[in-house]
Amino acid sequence: MKKLIFGLLLVSQLGHAQQQYDKAPFTDYIQPAVFSLSMVMMHDVVNPPAATRFYSYATLAAYQIIVKHNPSIPGAASFIKSYPAIAIQDSGRTYDYKVASVYAILEAGKQLLPSGYMLTEDEKKLIDLFKKDQVPDSIIKNSVMVAEGVVKQIVAWSKGDGYGKLSTLRRYTPLKGEGYWYPTPPAYMDAVEPNWRTIRPMVIDSCSQFKPKPMTAFSKDTSSDFYRLNMEVYKYGVNPTKEEMTIAGFWDCNPFAVSTYGHMAIGFKKITPGGHWMNITGIACRKAKLDFDQTLQAHMLAANVMMDAFITCWDAKYSTNRIRPEAFINKYIDVKWKPNLQTPPFPEYTSGHSVVSSAVATMLTYLFGDNFEYTDNSEEFWELTPRHFTSFWNAAKEAAVSRIYGGIHYRDSVDNGVDQGTRVGTFVVEKIKKAGIGPLAKN
Amino acid sequence: MRYSTSLLALMMASCISTAIHAQQKLFQQLPSKSTGIKFSNPLNETEGLNVLQYEYFYNGAGVAVGDLNNDGLQDLYFTANMQPGALYQNLGNMQFKDITKDAGKGIGGKADSWKTGVTMADVNGDGLLDIYICYSGKRDDAARRNQLFINQGNMKFVEKAKEYGLDDPDYSTNAVFFDIDNDGDLDMFLLNHSTNKIDNMEFARYKALTDSLAGNKLYRNDNNHFTDITLKAGIIQNPLTFGLGIAVADINKDGWEDIYVTNDYNEPDYLYINNHDGTFSERTKETFKHLSHFSMGVDIADYNNDGLPDVLTLDMLPEDNKRQKLLQMEESYEMHDLMKSQDLYEQYMRNMLQLNNGDGTFSEIGQLAGVSNTDWSWCPLLADFDNDGYKDLFVTNGYLRDYTNKDFLRYWGDYKVKKAMEREPIRFMDLITAMPVTPLKNYIFRNNHDLTFSNKQQEWGIDQPGVSSGAVYADLDNDGDLDLVINRINDPAGIYQNMSREQDKTAYLSFKLHGEGKNTQAIGAKVYVYANGIQQYQEVNPGKGYLGAVSTQLLFGLGKAAKADSVLIVWPGNKEQRMKDVAANQLLKVDFAPNAALPPATMLKPVFTKTDGLIDYKHEEMQANDFKRQLLMLFMYSKTGPVIAKADVDKDGKEDLYVSGNGELPGRIYNQLGNGSFEMNKGMKLEDPAENCVSDATFFDANGDGYADLYLAMGGYFNCDPNTPMLQDELFINNGKGILVKMSENLPDVSANSKSCVRPCDFDNDGDIDLFVGGRVIPGQYPLSPLSYLLVNNGKGKFTVADVPFAKTGMITDAQWIDLDKDGRKDLVVCGEMMPLSVYINKGDGFKDKTNDYFDQPQNGFWFSLAVKDVDGDGNDDLIAGNLGLNTQIKASPKEPAELYYADFDKNGNIDPFLNYYIQGVSYPYVSRDELNDQIYPMRKKFTSYKHYSDATMKDIVAPDDLAKAGKLTVTETRSLCLLNKNGKLVVSPLPMEAQFSVVTKILTGDFNEDGKPDLLLLGNHCDNRLKLGSFDASYGCLLKGDGKGGFTYVDQSEAGICIKGDVKSASEIAINGKNFVAVGVNNEGISLYKEK
Repeated sequence: MKKLIFGLLLVSQLGHAQQQYDKAPFTDYIQPAVFSLSMVMMHDVVNPPAATRFYSYATLAAYQIIVKHNPSIPGAASFIKSYPAIAIQDSGRTYDYKVASVYAILEAGKQLLPSGYMLTEDEKKLIDLFKKDQVPDSIIKNSVMVAEGVVKQIVAWSKGDGYGKLSTLRRYTPLKGEGYWYPTPPAYMDAVEPNWRTIRPMVIDSCSQFKPKPMTAFSKDTSSDFYRLNMEVYKYGVNPTKEEMTIAGFWDCNPFAVSTYGHMAIGFKKITPGGHWMNITGIACRKAKLDFDQTLQAHMLAANVMMDAFITCWDAKYSTNRIRPEAFINKYIDVKWKPNLQTPPFPEYTSGHSVVSSAVATMLTYLFGDNFEYTDNSEEFWELTPRHFTSFWNAAKEAAVSRIYGGIHYRDSVDNGVDQGTRVGTFVVEKIKKAGIGPLAKN
Repeated sequence: MRYSTSLLALMMASCISTAIHAQQKLFQQLPSKSTGIKFSNPLNETEGLNVLQYEYFYNGAGVAVGDLNNDGLQDLYFTANMQPGALYQNLGNMQFKDITKDAGKGIGGKADSWKTGVTMADVNGDGLLDIYICYSGKRDDAARRNQLFINQGNMKFVEKAKEYGLDDPDYSTNAVFFDIDNDGDLDMFLLNHSTNKIDNMEFARYKALTDSLAGNKLYRNDNNHFTDITLKAGIIQNPLTFGLGIAVADINKDGWEDIYVTNDYNEPDYLYINNHDGTFSERTKETFKHLSHFSMGVDIADYNNDGLPDVLTLDMLPEDNKRQKLLQMEESYEMHDLMKSQDLYEQYMRNMLQLNNGDGTFSEIGQLAGVSNTDWSWCPLLADFDNDGYKDLFVTNGYLRDYTNKDFLRYWGDYKVKKAMEREPIRFMDLITAMPVTPLKNYIFRNNHDLTFSNKQQEWGIDQPGVSSGAVYADLDNDGDLDLVINRINDPAGIYQNMSREQDKTAYLSFKLHGEGKNTQAIGAKVYVYANGIQQYQEVNPGKGYLGAVSTQLLFGLGKAAKADSVLIVWPGNKEQRMKDVAANQLLKVDFAPNAALPPATMLKPVFTKTDGLIDYKHEEMQANDFKRQLLMLFMYSKTGPVIAKADVDKDGKEDLYVSGNGELPGRIYNQLGNGSFEMNKGMKLEDPAENCVSDATFFDANGDGYADLYLAMGGYFNCDPNTPMLQDELFINNGKGILVKMSENLPDVSANSKSCVRPCDFDNDGDIDLFVGGRVIPGQYPLSPLSYLLVNNGKGKFTVADVPFAKTGMITDAQWIDLDKDGRKDLVVCGEMMPLSVYINKGDGFKDKTNDYFDQPQNGFWFSLAVKDVDGDGNDDLIAGNLGLNTQIKASPKEPAELYYADFDKNGNIDPFLNYYIQGVSYPYVSRDELNDQIYPMRKKFTSYKHYSDATMKDIVAPDDLAKAGKLTVTETRSLCLLNKNGKLVVSPLPMEAQFSVVTKILTGDFNEDGKPDLLLLGNHCDNRLKLGSFDASYGCLLKGDGKGGFTYVDQSEAGICIKGDVKSASEIAINGKNFVAVGVNNEGISLYKEK
């Protein structure tokens, strides 16, 4: 993870022999480009579902460029129904598709993200890197032009996905009656993206295509199943083991946990769950020594399967509007109980981590094979020790259960979320398989 | 040498006088060098001790004033949080001597302890003022034990808190000594605060807990030993207590001292009413309609000279646009609803001025008065600074660092990520020093004598920026005007000399009362001064403001009067002492010598008498939040009930009532019985409450059979859509037996939008009754103009829509038919939200918009209601129009109009409405950056930070071309008005200030006080508004007595006898058992009936 950001790449390259342009793989630049988007999203406090939307469009822009260069790679239209025809506008000039596609990731982020302007700096640094790599100025210039052209078309396509209309829809009002979600301490933030189900999905057909299994019915009765679910979560808040705390913290991925000091509330920013799995994808690509095209393909597929998983999950969340453990426990069990993690501001069922991690694990397992061991050191920035995983599923299941340890999800939400995410992942994998995308790494 | 010295003095004197004439400011800030007061309150922020470690780190310190050595000069004690306090002896002529070192061991307070408030009181009743110092901070109990320095005479003090039982280890803010039980000695209320804000909103459960270190305490003085009687006395001691302010006064004028305690954060303020038996009852919710949310200092004083104490609490709403946009505001409906569900009451972030109505209710009119927005303010002091007989207002202001800055909130996240990337540890001091520092001016307001104030920061010389905390006023130089002393963080204390006497030769009268028994300072005594035809009223109660205590010596400004006509002193225990013809410009030392008996209170028969028990109807409003559909509206439209209409439906000679449904039960007829009570007619269910939202109802004879038929207009917003059956009005035809039968086919389709009013009139003089139906709003498409309808009767009760010029003229709220041009045809006047009062003249062959002929300038308002009455007896009907009033954040005038721009600016299929109004001379959008981002997603890209947005005007948000194409609604008048119909013009005749306290939604006209002249009863309030606007609830029913010439005067609430709490949605006069009653439909309550005189 040392070469995560362009600044460090630039510094680290000073001591090394410069790459020969014609042999330069540029593969190492993909993850830093994606991470640059993560950084801006952290600054903007982009919420988890929206984050995967940005990753999806940005990596699709880059993917579009490699597709035009590599005929063996199926176009996105073969697995994304709404994908439009996108032209490469090179005006007959020579460009480098790798230069163009890495640049396209940044450019798409710049166009789409609220504080996209912050990526101008990263674009400059990237160009400096290419210059160091002896890419001729004219090639860089033409490649940038190609990237900008593709991004423009991708951005135009993105405008039809319903994101711009979210503000026209009715916002969430806590439902009357017990058992429904309402805002949670300490910041009591409004419900995040209550209408995310209206966003056009990428590969799946609709937001409600993969409904979760029914959830345990609400009850205050101490002998009820629901109460038992609460007591399980309660216990982790009262007396967690060190390992449980470590796992909960490792998978926190709360983009904006708020701490209050009297009138002051300060936000602790972290990368979103989608961002975390984008990092994991990068780690896997490096470990499997994938080439440039494959690395980009893996990032694109990870982003897109997560976007669909979030749409599916958010449909479930705002169909069930289930109360969070913190709200239930404070009200009915222990007013002073606090979860180990801060409760995110949206309904409980199903667990987003469970759905999304399972969906992306299904995808990564297909691409990289099962029992793909790796060490996830992407959370080192937050002083979290790297964790070793024996497979993507090993990680996904830990991510899922971490939410119970964290005191923010119930067991059924996690179990049924894993099931739901797996179905989304399997569906998407089938689609890309049909489109002709095979596993990328040979074990 | 002698000669030259006096020459120098003469030269200096002339310099000073030149300076005075050059500046002409009421206050002169005196430098430390001349006063000898070098005290300051320095804060030393360190990694270990800072605002993150102790959240009340910036709350400042206090000052108390009193004559410690009985030499006639007011001495000062200042506390400092981290440094020793300082005791200054007043040497006269605004010169002071620091005697801290000589006055007794430890009088500066405990080193290394966190000192807060200070008060002076003759605790042991020996005639000498003692000093009590409070402590807080996250330290051990011993470090926090409060100190009581007993005055030994000759400016020597000995600490005896333990001996007196007052060495309390609580987290104390301040203490007040006063006599709770009228037993002649001083008891003590200790104001405390918690040190941990509880974020969990399960407050109902926390309220059941006791935290004796954070909760307030009440001590009874038992012969110079103080006994904790907190719980026995009914004082709340829960861990939610964040006591920042206390003021003591006899709020209900029953001769016993009451207590107002403010609470920061979520816990509501407490109003403790004295039960006359050593206990108190907390009565906040019964007494006030809403409270300041993050309440700080408080003062109680009679500011309108009606002899009733009013209450002012401070909060932290900034005055300027920039800081309103930069700092955290309250915009979460969920949070607000949760607070209400947890019994935390209505609280809003701004100063609250609670005007005492004298009938147990208070009208909060801080915004009308112009004192609601004074930023992060601490110490309010209501006192007459210009000696004109009316109390002015001084407010200290400032917080060392803007830690609610919204960019800063996000900065911390970025900082932490950056530090993580750089593998560097996080330092609190990095964070702290990154918080913006904005020194602020204190506020001073002059009382305009009409319930409002004017800002006089510049003119009166209170314009030095800084961070001020506690403050007191006192006549330090005994010249007959009130000087100011301010404790400041990191700056020397401010000493401001009042030049009113010197410059304006104003008159005054000062009082030093000597009370009975051990209450030597006569705490709780009331003084009334009558001069210049006005009554002034003050109580001897030094406990007020913030972290300090004012003097027990009272000063009254007498303007230019040479004497007070009379003076009345009411000693504790209601013993009276009167004086006549008291010469001005003296200090009166008055010993306890009562010479008059309290005359029995005379009870006037009020104009209205509330009559309960005649109708059994409870209204429960449906839960809807219209802002979840269009977040940038100003008001909700869903809450329309209860709607009432009256008619003798069954022709039994008694008037019956239609009452709309309440969300669960359908609308019904309530038949009047012989005994005057009403019985629900169970047979008729008039509308489906799950489907419809009735917004107006009227009885009229639709088919000319002599029986009353009923028209129901449908309104609502949240859950109804245009052109759906929910919005189709209903007509019910009377079958001649008092049964109303729905005749849907008799009405054309009028379901385009929600409606507000239906006004019957035979406009075409064809002998049948036609209807005007006003369109209120298009659900989901505010503020586009809805459709209004003129429904023409075919004579048989079947209606068709006529083509009229007022079909699409704005968001109509009310209309009246009135023959303005006296041609025998009724003309139509309509009013509505953000539109002009409009006149449509009925020409016989159609209607013509003649608004401009009848008004010299357009009357653009937020009009809510309209009534017609010949109020000046000239034979022409006049108009009375109900508006928003003056008691809101939204200000508008022809010169500085409020403007609403609307269009689908981002082309996403949704109207984007942006209200703008003037703040400090510039028109700014009301929308916050968070709201803007929520409304138009790409705005995140346009304004990347709160700072970037904080100066934005409309043209920065929307491109000039788009703005030029956008729709625009304008408001130039927010006052409710009387419009006299004179010579073909409608001429504005203003109504009294009390009419502007709240929205006026219903107007009744009639001779209510039976003096032969028409009076007005203005009813209103509107509580479901954009959260930043808060609830408009200051009206309890405003009765205006007419003079028969078009002029009106306010009848005070007790005399009017009307007390309607809540939002009035309908009103009608109705005859019950032959007597005239007023029936009022109150949202979420029911029907109130008032019998007329």
